[in-house]
Amino acid sequence: MGKGARLGLVLALFVAAFGLVTYAVVAYVVPKPPVIDFAAGHSAGTPVDLHLQVVGSLGYGPHPTYVSYLTMNPSGKWVHTTRWDLPANTQVNVTIDQYDSGSPLRNQYFGGVTGTLGGKATLNGKSFTVLNANNGAGVGHTFTMPALGVSVPLWGVSSTAKNACNQAAPCPSSAAHEVVKFSFMTPGSQSVGHTYRWQCFVPCGLATVDGNGGPMQAIGYMGGFMTVEG
Amino acid sequence: MAISATAASAGLGSPGGVPGVSSPSKGTRLNIGTGFLGAVIGYLVGHWLGNFIASGYQAVQGSGANNVAIVLALALGALGWLTGMGVLSYPIAKLLGHDAPEERPEAGWGRYLRFTLDHKVVGVQYMVGVLLFFFTGGLFAMALRTELLSPTVHLFDPNRYIEIVSEHGTIMMMMATSLVLGPLGNFLVPLMIGSRRMALPRVEATSFWIFISGLMVILTAPALGGFQTGWTGYAPLQTQSNLGMDSYLVGFVVIGTGMILGGFNMVVTIINYRAPGMRWSRLPIFAWSMLATGSILATATPVLAVGLYMGLLDRTVRTANFVNSHGGNAFLWENLFWFFGHPEVYIMALPGFGIAAELLPVFTRKPLFAYRVGAAGMIGVALLSYFVWQHHLFQSGINPDMRPLFMLTTELISIPTGFIYLVGMGTLWRARIRLELPMLFVLALYFNFLIGGLTGVFLSDVPVNVTVHGSFFVLAHFHYTIMGGLVFAFFGGLYYWLPRITGSMMNETLGKIHFWMMFIFFNFTFFPLFIVGLLGMPRRVFEYAPRLQTLNDIATISSYLLGFSFVIFTINFVWSQFISPKPAPPNPWQSRGLEWMMPNPLPFHNFSRIPVILSDPYRYGEPDALPVADFGSEELRPETAGMAVDAAGQPIEKGDA
Repeated sequence: MGKGARLGLVLALFVAAFGLVTYAVVAYVVPKPPVIDFAAGHSAGTPVDLHLQVVGSLGYGPHPTYVSYLTMNPSGKWVHTTRWDLPANTQVNVTIDQYDSGSPLRNQYFGGVTGTLGGKATLNGKSFTVLNANNGAGVGHTFTMPALGVSVPLWGVSSTAKNACNQAAPCPSSAAHEVVKFSFMTPGSQSVGHTYRWQCFVPCGLATVDGNGGPMQAIGYMGGFMTVEG
Repeated sequence: MAISATAASAGLGSPGGVPGVSSPSKGTRLNIGTGFLGAVIGYLVGHWLGNFIASGYQAVQGSGANNVAIVLALALGALGWLTGMGVLSYPIAKLLGHDAPEERPEAGWGRYLRFTLDHKVVGVQYMVGVLLFFFTGGLFAMALRTELLSPTVHLFDPNRYIEIVSEHGTIMMMMATSLVLGPLGNFLVPLMIGSRRMALPRVEATSFWIFISGLMVILTAPALGGFQTGWTGYAPLQTQSNLGMDSYLVGFVVIGTGMILGGFNMVVTIINYRAPGMRWSRLPIFAWSMLATGSILATATPVLAVGLYMGLLDRTVRTANFVNSHGGNAFLWENLFWFFGHPEVYIMALPGFGIAAELLPVFTRKPLFAYRVGAAGMIGVALLSYFVWQHHLFQSGINPDMRPLFMLTTELISIPTGFIYLVGMGTLWRARIRLELPMLFVLALYFNFLIGGLTGVFLSDVPVNVTVHGSFFVLAHFHYTIMGGLVFAFFGGLYYWLPRITGSMMNETLGKIHFWMMFIFFNFTFFPLFIVGLLGMPRRVFEYAPRLQTLNDIATISSYLLGFSFVIFTINFVWSQFISPKPAPPNPWQSRGLEWMMPNPLPFHNFSRIPVILSDPYRYGEPDALPVADFGSEELRPETAGMAVDAAGQPIEKGDA
């Protein structure tokens, strides 16, 4: 084999390997839940409404038994995603419809509200700063964004509720649920482009050891990202 | 030591052939293409079989995950690969009562893509194989460092990040067990000890093709959802992890089988196939390191294999070996894993020191200082390596009263390790050092390992260990020992022995650029990680405190440049070995090593007559030293191997001529 042929062979192998690696990397990295853009067309100084729901089991997809958050997009449709773009330095009014059951907390710290405007939240319209998870249905999940110090407990639906949601997500508003509302501020313009992880901090990964696994930090289920936009 | 000088009594059969080796006509030969075909067929059959068996199981229905199907698919895929490569042709022929003809020497590139019994071809196959997987693992490392460029801008989600960590770690650890023993051990040890082949050529070739299949199995993990356990595969996370965990368990079992075979073959070869006169006191120090490494591979790896098998049973047929709530014990896995895992650290350390000690006398033109101490140190490390594994479990449920004992044994192992290190320092002492390319890598090893070794002494102490456990400090420590030691030594060995292996020199200028970039940016990549570890940055987590970003960015940018140094190596390697090879002189480094005393290219059976060894190969600068060996024929004397000799047939030093 001549020098030119050897060089050609090496280049051909290189191109093939490069193509294969690129394809594998793209296929591996890119698939993610979609991003809902709340920043587009946003008027500075006006709050953003973020409406979420938590379902006990998603009912479809690769992990039908996973507990999951869903997000309502600006056109009012529930989307199975936990990734949002939000405008910088903006008040976010969060409403979470919690359809999953609860239990006592292992760590009572997560029964408290932190990082929200006024340091409080409302449960079915009643203001609270801490929930006692040892009483009643207990706490099902939290909405926690560690980098901003935001953490809000989500009260669980009673296990004896007659009209518990038993269908694939999204759950209808007629099913038994608890409504938790709170507000927080997104970081200022110096944080534009930054991505903030959030997730549930209550062990809620069914079938994983002590609940610490599975959906708990899985993006698209009980974990997500908030990206700050300009 | 009693090895006959004749070919037949050395177990070689008639000259010109290895007995009992199949050699079908060219058109019907099995090769890498049929291997891939076998792998695909095996995978499909296994998957179908697994679904047939287990799709009705309660745990499988509706879960979207059938571990039985995946495990059978991967296992039969690996078996199909080996069958397609022709690994099983000989045993099957014997089972059916057929005799197989002898293997004849063959030339051409095709032999590198086939199952072959020539240890030199297997060595080259291993060389390409380990490099491919080293670079694959390196790409995963780049991805990790890219994610760590910023604590707040994310490329991956947390699960994807830990999956890439796991994939990187597992590939690198699997690869590193064979990094030196595979290519350099298999190629060089028979030449160094005066043998025509490895003791068990079929086992040797089988270990290589198993190695490849094991690494291919582990590369299926991302497509199966990855695994989140890191390379340690800890239960109970192991039991509950994605289907990708099956790739880890099957892949490690497969590659572990290859490690056992490769290590066993190396030990048998060194003990039984030494030429007459090759006393233990004349055995090249590199062969000592291969003996120690092979011993650990052959005896520690079965423990891991058992653990992996138990884990597979937990995930497929619902045993509960590692499930506490069902009567098992997850802590058992940690013990089984580290009973293999810590000796494995020395599987990765000893070959590096073997290369360094082998090269030092050549480039210092001095005898190896305290040769026997070095050999004893290697065997001492191999023995003690079985008594330290519990230091990995200081935080994992070990009886606190036992911690001082394992702290002591861990500190104890620094003594034979210190022997080996001091052999190097003693050889360097007052030497006229030739700062040629391989020597630069050797010196870098001693620099890097000093940092890695000293931090290891700190880590063996319980209070420090408890403080920095699971942090980047630990990560930096083992990268300094494995990459700073083994990988540097491997590349030094490659630059040194490639003229012997391929007959072509590497480009020295490109080699030096590779070295300096690798050395500088290796240190700039990993040294800052000691600091971020001490400041509390945990391993395997994709977020970190914003105050640590500068140090992380230094590490990440340096890692890109470190990666670029391997691009330079690859260009040099491909250009100088394949596209435009520059013929090497027969003995470019003026070495006394037996492996350099043969013509270029190497004859198929290495020696037309088994040499009689007269002295060790390190007697540089000793005027009365005997030649290394009596070859008994003109064509194999040192002068015909390109060395200048004096009247007594003694090689003349460069500076003395």
